[in-house]
Parts: sequence; C-alpha cells; structure tokens
Amino acid sequence: MRIGTMFTDILKSFFTKSITQLYPVERVAPPERYRGILAYNPSVCTGCSLCVKDCPSDAIELVILDRAAKKYVMNYHMDRCIYCGQCVVNCKPKSIGMSNQDWEHAALNKNFMVHYGKDEDIAKYLESLTPAPDEATGE
Amino acid sequence: MNTEQNLQTADLLLAPWKKETAQPETNRLDVSIAANQLRQAVSALHNARWGYLSAITGTDLGPAAGQMEALYHFCNGAAITTLKIQLPRTDSAVLPTIEDIIPPATFFERELHEMLGFKFKAAKSNERLFIPDDWPEDVFPLRQDFSIEQAKPVEGRQAVEVPEAGRVGDSTFVVPIGPQHPALKEPGHFEFTVDGEIVTAARMRLGYAHRGIEKAAESRNWIQNLYLFERVCGICSHTHALAYSLGVEKLAQVEVSPRAQAIRELVAGLERIHSHLLWLGVAAHEAGFDTLFMYSWRDRETVMNLLEQITGNRVNYSANVLGGVKCEIGPEQAKAIKEGLNYLEPRINHYLGVVTTDTMFLNRTRGIGTISCEEAEEFGLLGPTARASGMLRDVRVEAPYGAYKQFPVSGVTETNGDLEARCVVRLKELLVTCFAIRAIIDNLPTGPLTVRVPRKIPAGETISRVEAPRGELLYYIKSNGTEHPARVHIRTPSLCNWVSVLEKAVGRQLADVPMLIAGMDPCFSCNDRLITTVDAARGRKTWSWTQLREHGIEYYKR
Amino acid sequence: MNTPTSLIALLIFPAGLTLVLTGMFYEWADRKLVARFQNRVGPRWFQPFADMVKLLTKEQITPALSNRFLFIGLPIVAISGALTAALYVPLMGLAPAHSFPGDLIVTVYLLSLLTMCMGLAGWNTGGRFSLVGATRTLTQMFAYEAPFLLALLGPALAAGSWQINIINDYARDHLFAISQPIGFIVALIGLMGKLELPPFDAPEAETEIVAGALTEYSGRGLAMFKVGKSIELIVGITLVSAFYLGGLHGILPFLLKTFAVLFLMTVLQSLLTRLRIDQTVGMWWRFGTVLVLAQILFTILLKGGLL
Repeated sequence: MRIGTMFTDILKSFFTKSITQLYPVERVAPPERYRGILAYNPSVCTGCSLCVKDCPSDAIELVILDRAAKKYVMNYHMDRCIYCGQCVVNCKPKSIGMSNQDWEHAALNKNFMVHYGKDEDIAKYLESLTPAPDEATGE
Repeated sequence: MNTEQNLQTADLLLAPWKKETAQPETNRLDVSIAANQLRQAVSALHNARWGYLSAITGTDLGPAAGQMEALYHFCNGAAITTLKIQLPRTDSAVLPTIEDIIPPATFFERELHEMLGFKFKAAKSNERLFIPDDWPEDVFPLRQDFSIEQAKPVEGRQAVEVPEAGRVGDSTFVVPIGPQHPALKEPGHFEFTVDGEIVTAARMRLGYAHRGIEKAAESRNWIQNLYLFERVCGICSHTHALAYSLGVEKLAQVEVSPRAQAIRELVAGLERIHSHLLWLGVAAHEAGFDTLFMYSWRDRETVMNLLEQITGNRVNYSANVLGGVKCEIGPEQAKAIKEGLNYLEPRINHYLGVVTTDTMFLNRTRGIGTISCEEAEEFGLLGPTARASGMLRDVRVEAPYGAYKQFPVSGVTETNGDLEARCVVRLKELLVTCFAIRAIIDNLPTGPLTVRVPRKIPAGETISRVEAPRGELLYYIKSNGTEHPARVHIRTPSLCNWVSVLEKAVGRQLADVPMLIAGMDPCFSCNDRLITTVDAARGRKTWSWTQLREHGIEYYKR
Repeated sequence: MNTPTSLIALLIFPAGLTLVLTGMFYEWADRKLVARFQNRVGPRWFQPFADMVKLLTKEQITPALSNRFLFIGLPIVAISGALTAALYVPLMGLAPAHSFPGDLIVTVYLLSLLTMCMGLAGWNTGGRFSLVGATRTLTQMFAYEAPFLLALLGPALAAGSWQINIINDYARDHLFAISQPIGFIVALIGLMGKLELPPFDAPEAETEIVAGALTEYSGRGLAMFKVGKSIELIVGITLVSAFYLGGLHGILPFLLKTFAVLFLMTVLQSLLTRLRIDQTVGMWWRFGTVLVLAQILFTILLKGGLL
C-alpha cells in the first residue's frame, strides 16, 4: 500500500522534453504504408472497373473515353473516400495506389472532386459535361 | 467433453420438444421448436447448465414466405445450439419472455421487439431501448418490406422527460448521465435516482449512435460490407472485420492460409493492447487520477504507431480482406514490433503495480461493484468483466478460431470481481497478448497472404464468434447465394454487460457510478446499429442510405 | 495614509489589478507544472487571461428557475470576499494594507465566503448537477475548515498573536516548517482542500457532475468566480508560506516561497487520485484534526514549558 506510486514517472518527465508533437510546427512523416489520397495512372489501367464496383462508399467513377487508347478519366470524390484501400487490392495492373505523403486535406472550400487522367482527356470529359447553349437558356 | 458430445447432450435435453433438427455446420445444432414450448426448452438447457444464452437473432423471411424467425443461440465451448422458432409476420408473432430465467435476455428481446415486431408475453417493461420515442408504432425497420416513407416521426410524442428536482423538502431526485456528459465518451442515457449521494434506482436508454448498419448491410455486396462492419466500432474494428471475414470464408468454404490467420491474430493482439490501455486511461480519468490517464495514453501511442506502420492507419486498419490479409509482416515490421513490445512490457508491469498498490486509487476501486461468480453467470456477463469474477469465458480458449490453435493464449481470471480485479485482468491479458505476439513473429508460417473468394457466396448461414477486447462478439451471417448478404446480425459484448452496471449501481454512491460504467468497458458504438435522423433545422427526418447520399452529392455540388 | 497612495495600493499594486494578474499567473503556473509532470506541453502563459477575456465576451444565461438577484449577486459577493481577504495578508512581501488584532480569523472566513457563495450559487440554480455540487462544496468546507484553521493557529500560538502582520514578523526568525512539521503538512493539504484542487476536487468532479456548483454559470458570472478562485489561490498560498516558510518580507522572498508551496501542491496534485466526498470528510475529521490538535498541544506545552 503506497501513496504516490507514479512518483518516478513524474520526476523523470519533469526533466525530459514533452512527448507532444507540436503539429504543425513539427511534422512527422507518415509511415510507408500509410493510406493517403488516391493516385491513379491511366496508362496501365485496363478499364475493368472493379475498383468502382467494390468501393464501399462509391467514391470512384471511371469514365472510359477510349479503352484501346487508354483514355480514362477517373472522378474521385475525396469526401466520400474512406481510405480503405479495397480499390488498390482489386486492381490487377496496379494502376491505382494510395499516396503516403499527401494526407493533409482540410480545406476552406468544397471542391472535393478530383479528376485523374491525362490533361487532354480531362478537358475533353469536362467539355462533354457542360450543356449545349440552347439547353442552358431554357433552365 | 468435445463438441460432438456436447451437441449430443443438447439434442437429448431438447428431445421432448423438438420438431426437427439440422446440423448446418459441424459445431452447430439447429432445433426447431414451437413458440409455446420455448420456456421449457430454455429451462431444460439452463437447468442442465448447458452453456449460456449468447444472442437472440431475429430474421424476416420476407412477405412471400410470410414468416419471421427467432433464433436463440446457446453456446457451450465451441458447440452452439440454436432454438429456431418460426412465427407469422403479423400481430400474432408472440413469444413468451425468458427474462426471468435468463436476465440478459431482456435486451435481446427488446431489440427483437423494436426491430422486427415480435411481441413478448409478460415482459417486465415495454420501455423503448434503442429506437427514439417519436418513432411510430408498428413500423419495424428490419422487416423486408420496410420503406423509409413509413418512418415519419410521430408528432407530439416526446421522450418522457424527468421533471426538474424540487428544491425544498425533496431529497430524492434523478441525476441524468448522458446523452451529453463529460463522463461518457459516446452518447448513452442513464438515469440514476439518488437520495443524497446513494443511488436508489437506475434506468438506461441506448440507441444514440444507431446507424442502421445491419439494414445497410443487406444492400451492399460482400466486399463492401467488410468495411461497413469494420466501422461498427473504432476500438474493436479489427475484431468485427475478422468475425465477418471468418464467417464469410466458412460459408464460401475457403481455407485461408496459416500465414494470413497468424497475421490476423497479430493485428488483433495489437488492437487488444491499444484497447486495454485506452480503457485503463479512461478508468483512471473517471476516478480522477489524471496522471495515470496521461501516461497510459502516451504508451498507447507506441501501439498506434506500430499499427500505422503495419496496416497504414491508426484506427480502422482494414487489414482484413475476404480470404486473407492485406498487409505483410516483413523483417522491418517484425523488428519494429519487437522494439515496441520491449518498451511496453515494463510499462504494463509498472501500471499493474500502480493499480494494485496505490492506496488512493484502491480507495476508488477495491471492493466496489463486486460481482460474484454466480451473479456473473446469472447476469450473462462476458469478457474481462466476467473473467474478473472468476468465470473463464473466453472464445479464444473455449473455441479457438483462426490461428489461436497454433498460437494459443491462456485465459486470465481473478476471483474478487470488483473494479480492481477488472483492472488487473485487463493488464494481465496484455502481458499474455505480448507473449503471443512475440511467438507469432518468431514463428510466422509461410504461405500466400490471400486466397480467392468467389463474389457470390453460396447459400447458407453461419455463426462466427470471436473474442473482442470487451468480450465475445457473435456474427450470424445468412446468405441466399447472391452478391448481397440476406441477413447479418451482430451481437456485441457490451450489450450483455450493461445489466451489471444497472444492478450494481443501486446502493452505491453517485461518485462510483462513472467508475462502474467505465469498469465494464462500454462500447456504445458497438451497441447501436440502426436509424439515422438528420438536420434539426429542417425538422427530423429518417433517411435511407440512398437518400442521404443523394443529399450529400447535391449539397456538395454547390 | 493619504488617499492617492491607498487608492493605488488598493486598485493597482499590490492589491487590485496586480493581485488579479498574479493570481492568473499562478493559475497558469499550476497548470503548466501539472502538464510537465504528465509529460505534456501545457498551456501557454496567456491562457488564463485568454479564458477570462473569452468568458467576459460570452452571453450570460440565467436559468429560469433561479432567483435572478442571487444569481447575479453571488459572484460579486464571492469575488469581493476574496479581494478583501487579500488586504490583510502580506501580498508581494509588503506589509498588509490593514492590520488589526484577530485579522487572521477574518481573512480565513473571508476566503470561506467565496466557497459559501459557490455553494449557495449551486443551490440557487437548482439544476441536478449544481445541487449535488453545492452539497459537496459545503460538505467539504465543513470538513477542512477546522483542521486548516487549527493548522494556522500553531504559528499564531507560537507568535502569541492573532494578527497576521505580527505572526509574519515573528516567523522571520522561526522557521515553522521545521519546528511544526505536522502543522505544515496539514496546512498544505488543507489549502488544497480549500482550493478544491485534486485530490479534493469532488465538488467539481468533471466526470461525475459536469462542473459541480458552477454548472449553470456562463459569461461574466463564471469569469468572476474563476477570478475569485485564482485570488483565493494567491491569498491562501501567501498565508501558508508567510506562516510556515519564514515570513514574507520583500518581493523576491515572496515569489520564491510562494512558488515553492505551489510546486509542492502540484506534485501532490499529480500523484493522487480524487477522493470521494465521504472519504474526504472521513479523512479530515479522523486524521487531519487529530494530527493538528496533537501539534497544537505540543506547541502549547513547548511554549509554556520552555519559553
């Protein structure tokens, strides 16, 4: 029966640096396997869409502009993604991966949609989304 | 006696009432009985001390079949006997209550009543437990023909409000703890009627973190559900995913490689360490011993960093896939784990010393909330709360699953049954777990990490039991051969342990109540699994998953 | 004493503004020390001031069932009690502003006025947690009041006076911490009880009754109670260090000695678990009072026999 059983702990702590990580002044790099934001490489993608099928929160949409020429646009809902990594597991050619550097995504805007792909493909896809002029005036 | 003999004993005990029997798996026996003979059957098993009532599952077989099923699962070691009762899906789905024979059945019966509409004759109370007070009558969420339009909040029907305490001449009043209270890490509602400082009565409501997971599981495919179930609870997420994966793999009759099973056990062990250290900090904080809280959580960071290194995330590790694991344990990870354990083991021993010798902490834990072994059995307790009272109820020991046959853990029990014993049991379990993890790293079997599992799981039903840090976790999974499960029922350990809080709080001081609640390590997220309501500004609404998603998409398109 | 000097002494230095600022500084030092003992960083130096400013800008919500007059008046009475008590103790090591025979009792009871006001405030607001908190506050007050006063009585007996000024001067030559060690320990622990510091923080046990007696207070009222508590901290530490650590004569001895007492209190805070209210009362009435009575008896015999 003792009083003050943690005395050695507090004595030691008084003379050592605190364990708190002073984020954002000090930043510790995440480990290698950390599951950060998606990374997509359309040049090895086969367009099988298994990643889309098994995503628990429907965060990925794959738009196939031209399968043979490997023109894909991946629409990624950053806010829906739960960073589970099932898409990475499903992908056979390993065209999709998760970054382990990019994980600080707090933002002041709501631009949560990220488009992956070659720039000209993305431009073509976005163009196809905008309605034709006569439809716009009818709104 | 082994499992087969166990099942034969059960078969004999239930002989007078059984209509038909089936053996869906080697360790299970399904006995169909009539509703009016339920009590005799249950008494027969109870009096012969054949196992304990682990869960009551309710299933709706659909409007086409016109029947609902109630399954009473009794577990004895690795053997499971299920009493099956089929009743029509109308108002006449009446079952006799068994809560006088087996007290923990109260919560299970209320869940069945509120979710599926079974009526229980002579039940002690019809108070709502899970669903909110303004949920309409006769609308049962887990029925197959449930649609969201039915769930309109009933206007003018508020929760029964406890009146404010009178100020003169009124010495008893009700102290509410929750849904918002600094003592609770998650919402839950307890009402303690106090007279001065002594508690005279206790009531509770759950359901504040209910998210509709069991219902949501029916509209997702098997792989998506893995991640859904992982998020039932943040602290025991891996055990939920593990139970689900083991169940599905049993249904698909797929043999997972020993290496994957060993890695699963390793991650489960690390999760147990993090969960028990978290609990130690929380219990110390409830007692007012903030220093122990800070230090145990500091040491917990070691485990969290290890888990992040191995699996990629600190919480919701997603280490499991159907058929194996995602993460490899290479020499680098093994070295890191060993270093982490070398740091942790002396610290755990130090905390064991603090918890058993610090006079002031003992003043708050020794002799408080004592539950004897007989009471523990009667209340149907599970997990470390039961083991602290001397009852060895541990699925890893009684019915080893996965890699536990190759890397066994010894069961840890204490005899006193008070809060101190619960602290000691959890800390000693950690030491046992560290030993097991070291054994796994040194003898990791070779083999592939994953095995292919078909996308359409063959029809059937299975029961998967694993030992979560809080006790036995039971998953009942039923498949009808498609890509979506037909029914998944989860019975979490915290649900069984609530009775201990309610019974033991009476007669103790109000100051002991947070310690009692913390002592059973409640996990509210595990308890609540249905119903979402949104948006105070626009009035209360209950939305289905599709509606919520559509709303989210619309909202964020701006 | 001419009016401008006494006004400055009352409002700016050493009482008044300086007192409030020093009180908050000591509160910060307490939190920072506890944090360092727990291996954490702790708040930055301006945290209590920031808290105060924030509270003063917040809306004050008066519960419907409470007596409005009492609700608004009690914090004012509490803080005035604490501020008045400060006039009789050697703040900053300077001679007390006022001094008369018997002012020791007055000071201690003015400090208790703060606690009583908190208890009354809890009863007045009438919410469930406030009531339990108020009961505990008042129960604890009855428990530690007797031993604490008796512990302060030891040096008073030795100095032969009930006047703080005289005891302070007498203590300059007599280190009572050494000659009345039990009294010192009881006084220190009694001070922790008075200030509701852990392990005696059952009246405001966050994990059981939200915030105890002050649960329903917000905005100005809460700010005043908190400032009152930090003033009580300073005044209490000044009393104990003046009596037991060899008197306070000068700013530097003041800072050093009061800091030493604060340090001891933070060490005890970090080491001990919170006591339940019945355990607190039991401990005080069984150990505290008996020990300090023995100490006083010894002092009386010593003074009568040897001097």
